[in-house]
Amino acid sequence: MRFFFNAYKNKFLKEVMVVFRRFFSLYLGISEEKFRYVWVGFSTSLWRQRYPTVEKRAKVFNGASYVPIPEDGPFLKALLFELRLLDDDEDFIESRDSCSHINKTSVYGLLIGGGELWPVVAFLKNNMIYACVPLVEQTLSPHPPLISISGISQGFELLFGVQDFLSLSQKNDTELNTKLNQLPDLLLQACPFGTLLDANLQNSLDSINFASVTHSQKQPAWKVGTYKGKPQVSISITEKVKSMQYDKQDIADTWQVVGTVTCKCDLEGIMPNVTISLSLPTNGSPLQDILVHPCVTSLDSAILTSSSIDAMDDSAFSGPYKFPLTPPLESFNLCYYTSQVPVPPILGFYQMKEEEIQVKITVNLKLHESVKNNFEFCEAHIPFYNRGPITHVDYKVSFGQLEVFREKSSLVWIIGQKFPKSMEINLSGTVTFGAKSHEKQSFDEICIGGTAYLKLHFRILDYTLTGCYADQHSVQVFASGKPKISTHRKLISSDYYIWNSKAPAPVTYGSLLL
Amino acid sequence: MGPLSRETWAQRLGAFRASPSAFMAGPEGEDLGRDLLSELRSEKLSEQTKVSLLALSLEYPAQLWPDATAAEAAATSLLDTLVLLPPRPSALRRPLLLAATTALVAGDALGPTSEASRRLLPLLLGLASGRDLGRGFGPASEQRPLQATACECLRELESCKPGLLGGCLGLLRGLLGQEGPVQPLSLLLALALRNTLVIRARARAGLQGLLMAGDTPSGGDPWNWALAEEGDARLQPQAPSWPAAEEECGLAVLEPTPEEARELRAAVAQLLDTSYLLTPVAQAQLLWLLGWALRGLRGQTPVLFKPQLVRLLGTAQLTLLHAVLALKAAFGEALFTAQDEALLLRRLTVAAQHPALPLPAHLFHLHCLLSFPENWPLGPTAEEAAPLLLGPRLCRGLLPSLLHDPMALLARLHLLCLLCVEDEEKEEKGQDWSPRHYLEELLAGLRQRAALDGGPRASATLCFQASHLVVQCLATQPTVLTPLTHGLARLYRARPVLAPHFADLLDRVGPELGEPLRVALRQEVVSGPGRDEALRWHLQILAEVADGNAQSATLGFLGAAAAHCTDWGLQQALLRVCRALLRAGVGGGLADLLQALARQWEDPDGRDHARLYYVLLAHLAGPKLGVALGPSPAAPALASSLVAENQGFAAVLMVQEAPAPVRLSVGPHRAAGPGPVLQLHVEVLEPAYSLELRFRGEGQVYAPLGAVHVPCLCPGRPCRPLLLPLQPRRPAPTRLDVRALYTTPTGLTCHAHLPPLPVNFADLFLPFPPAPEGDKLGFFEELWDSCLPKGAESRLWCPLGPQGLEALVSRHLEPFVVVAQPPTSYHVAIRLPPDSRLLLRLEAAQEDGVPVALRTDDWAVLPLAGDYLRGLSAAV
Repeated sequence: MRFFFNAYKNKFLKEVMVVFRRFFSLYLGISEEKFRYVWVGFSTSLWRQRYPTVEKRAKVFNGASYVPIPEDGPFLKALLFELRLLDDDEDFIESRDSCSHINKTSVYGLLIGGGELWPVVAFLKNNMIYACVPLVEQTLSPHPPLISISGISQGFELLFGVQDFLSLSQKNDTELNTKLNQLPDLLLQACPFGTLLDANLQNSLDSINFASVTHSQKQPAWKVGTYKGKPQVSISITEKVKSMQYDKQDIADTWQVVGTVTCKCDLEGIMPNVTISLSLPTNGSPLQDILVHPCVTSLDSAILTSSSIDAMDDSAFSGPYKFPLTPPLESFNLCYYTSQVPVPPILGFYQMKEEEIQVKITVNLKLHESVKNNFEFCEAHIPFYNRGPITHVDYKVSFGQLEVFREKSSLVWIIGQKFPKSMEINLSGTVTFGAKSHEKQSFDEICIGGTAYLKLHFRILDYTLTGCYADQHSVQVFASGKPKISTHRKLISSDYYIWNSKAPAPVTYGSLLL
Repeated sequence: MGPLSRETWAQRLGAFRASPSAFMAGPEGEDLGRDLLSELRSEKLSEQTKVSLLALSLEYPAQLWPDATAAEAAATSLLDTLVLLPPRPSALRRPLLLAATTALVAGDALGPTSEASRRLLPLLLGLASGRDLGRGFGPASEQRPLQATACECLRELESCKPGLLGGCLGLLRGLLGQEGPVQPLSLLLALALRNTLVIRARARAGLQGLLMAGDTPSGGDPWNWALAEEGDARLQPQAPSWPAAEEECGLAVLEPTPEEARELRAAVAQLLDTSYLLTPVAQAQLLWLLGWALRGLRGQTPVLFKPQLVRLLGTAQLTLLHAVLALKAAFGEALFTAQDEALLLRRLTVAAQHPALPLPAHLFHLHCLLSFPENWPLGPTAEEAAPLLLGPRLCRGLLPSLLHDPMALLARLHLLCLLCVEDEEKEEKGQDWSPRHYLEELLAGLRQRAALDGGPRASATLCFQASHLVVQCLATQPTVLTPLTHGLARLYRARPVLAPHFADLLDRVGPELGEPLRVALRQEVVSGPGRDEALRWHLQILAEVADGNAQSATLGFLGAAAAHCTDWGLQQALLRVCRALLRAGVGGGLADLLQALARQWEDPDGRDHARLYYVLLAHLAGPKLGVALGPSPAAPALASSLVAENQGFAAVLMVQEAPAPVRLSVGPHRAAGPGPVLQLHVEVLEPAYSLELRFRGEGQVYAPLGAVHVPCLCPGRPCRPLLLPLQPRRPAPTRLDVRALYTTPTGLTCHAHLPPLPVNFADLFLPFPPAPEGDKLGFFEELWDSCLPKGAESRLWCPLGPQGLEALVSRHLEPFVVVAQPPTSYHVAIRLPPDSRLLLRLEAAQEDGVPVALRTDDWAVLPLAGDYLRGLSAAV
């Protein structure tokens, strides 16, 4: 009976839903990727670009809901307010603090002169705000769904591109200024009339310089010239391991490996074909959630479908992971992956008890035997939040040495290059704190009372936790000359937390699944 | 202005950019556009400076050349500059092309009659085709970049005038097949193709071989201004999107011939085949455009896209995944089987949480997940919902935790709420994981964070936003709302300073949470001592939640708090609570409290306010009180509640000036009764209650007039005439000033000034008491004689109309005739209040008039009577 009902229901729904789908497909019809305004800055505008011809169309398309792009000053003020970067946290301001003012994406509406400028794609990264206003070819009230506006994803790519360009090998303000001065020319090249042609601004910079190179028919737009010189291919695999350890009965520890494979292919010819394979040893952990660079020309469906969402079993695809590609000139991230290794590289516990102005701490760390015991460095940082400066420390370490940063209220346990033979080390001690200073100290919302963590920082060269590697034989190059192939590997800790097991700790949903 | 140095220009441009409006309003504003154009040809300026001048013109053409004529002239000048460049490499050619295009488009100068347009378009097409345009157009090394720039300019022109390049489709295809730069040509062709298809479909015309046109467009001029005119209709605000309806303006009406369909397919395949040569962002644009071009077009299957999909799905590029979603929405099941849909969802789920991607990309992917264009969606598509295939299992990694950034937390919380809804619908028990339980813990964690003393406002805001989101999604689930209510009440106890957030939340949630939360918060407040430093917040909350319930506890709390309200702000806060109670209809105890406040407080403002409320409470009936204290209809959008409140009072307790709700007119004269009475006809324009009409005679000729009261007037309902007794001090006409005071249906008291009413001399006429039956003539003669000697006598000629004397008398003087010998002789006696008389003898009437002898005992009446008699015939 139930089956029949379902069958009937499905047929009925199909008919009804044809109408719905048609309606929705109309929603997704906006197809011109244009920007009205692009802006970079922080407390002042560092660079911005207006596109008057697009603005003109916005006025027509948006109709009554059109809000013109204001001058830079008012735009900056409204943006800082919306991003909560103005220093006026004291009072409740309804237009910002109301419970119904919910932002779930980095797309904002700015209140400007009584109207709402929307959509403003914006984010803050490394003390710099990146913002742009894409064109929407319809009325804006009510707001059409973001998914139906192609300019939104284009806007993100543009801003990511600008951000990459500005942060690439940037060391000081002078370099930043040089790069900012290059932006107008670059955007003229990469984004004429507000249409993004290439989010890789370095590429556009090169194309200005490469202008004299003669082009042939099949020159890709993402490769502005050709390489001349000794052929070589360099592949480096960087794995970051993150972990949350609780040492508790009812909360599971979690850890995850995130890998990035970076390549640089210096090969002659316009479109050299290369196949790079990543391999795992027999006991290696399968790669999952693989995202590849657009230059990869085809993908095995096993690579496309292997995902951390599924329960792990022995049948999981374990390589080799082949990536046929046509490389660009510059260094690029061939792929990203995640992996679930069976054990965390370092397992530990951290116990902290508060006793009036003192805390007693005990730390135990154990390196797993399968992990290469040869660190570039290994440190445990033990911060104490929402407390005064450290006045006194009594401690005992079984290995390494402890540094005390009194004013920063933190301890750093320098473990060094190797764990001892036992693979296990301890720290115990008592830390005494002075009075909290009255000036407004940075306030940590998570580490209140006994809630505390220690964070591990380590790096191991020529090693990956998954075992993933690329060797010389794994690279096939279909071009003239035999290239020199170099490969590199390293493992880095990232967000490797061990929480105080004697107090509550923040958990993710995954930790509750025992 | 003479030539400027590089520094001067840098300074000038800096000043302009700092505030274009201020600069243009200044003394240099007017010349900037002209100077800029002439400086471009100056040999003193470096190329770099010139490029920065052109960059300015690309951003602010409307400021530099504000009208079409100026824009046309500017474009012409820019083109001249371009042609005059020496044939060596120059960084100016590209920006000059862009600037000329921008000037024409932004200045509305683009069109078939514009000379600059007629120069620019062939130039662009020539450059785009890679034709040799002579030495002015630079060395060979610059040809390629110029070709790309020309394509970009053409693309912009096509965007502004859709259909303009409709005649060049064949040419562009040819170029793409040869060795033109792939990306600019692909994008240009795709846009022109899409626009042509749409415009042709709208005009219900075929493709007319546009795709197959050869290298050189037929018929001379390649510019399809006619098609562009049709395309102009597209540049209209669209809702929800263009085109308005698939059936009517969609591509389904296009019926390409088999040959045209084949050509179209070939063109699309050609574009897709080389799409991997495009940058990822350009690939995405191409897919959006082609998806559009083919959607709903008969005889075109979207299978052409299929070979691209696997490649696109594997990438980490936001734009490419977004473009695939656009194809998904455009073609649905025709392009994506159920398995494809599942795979796409999985990739989206992965992308929404992949550690290698930045947060903004996560959030956008999450948005796409909740707006996923399903093949067969179950709900209305305008709302965010979890797709059917996105089970709890897929969502595990997407659930929120306290460690997330606020935006990520809210986005993931929304997903969690949607899962809770489904969970409830399934009513499956005994699961090893319960989203609802997790939700509760998360909310508790957020509240704990918000409760921290000295914590930033952002964490409180986040807690309330999360609560609001949960209520929106799960309003029907008491299992969620009950702990939420208790939790929020505890949060208030811990940190009353969050009162504004609570008030905001109460304003925005429905009764499902609002009702129990009000009760809980009231309890939380009134059970306290009412004298701590949080008093101000307690009073704010009470003003929000006080109603008729728990009166004695509330009043007790207020009574205790009153003594601690030593400053003006606290007193006003407490009074706001009293106001809320007044509105809720709380009586007895409140009156005592208000009286106590009016005595006890030292601040005169607080005291007066309390007394005012007391007076209101004592004197106004419930409904009027409600209106008096309700939101002000006069000024609904004021920022300050205090001002708004006062405005409300002002509106309700003060009398409003308003247009008259009625129109009055004087009816026929009634000569009866002891004194003159004016009969007023009423025409009702607006409903009015308790109407009071006040009259005042000019010059105190009459004794003060009593007001006339009407309980209720409604338009369309008949109204009896109103009677206004007059008490003249001397017998003279006058004008009455009329004012109306009334209550509107909304409870406002209004005052209106009506047009003045005339009282004529004749309106005062009264008859004498009836004369003795046998001796009427004697009675008249006695009156006639009594007028002299202190009175006056006169004779005058009263003209008669065609009706004659008899008609005149019966019409005007009938009630006052004492002796009548029709049709020739009448004796008329008129009493004029207060105590005058007017006697007339109308005898020996002739054809066109009658001589009248008149006597009166009041000198002053004589001219009035004369005017009256002379005016009679005209009045007939």
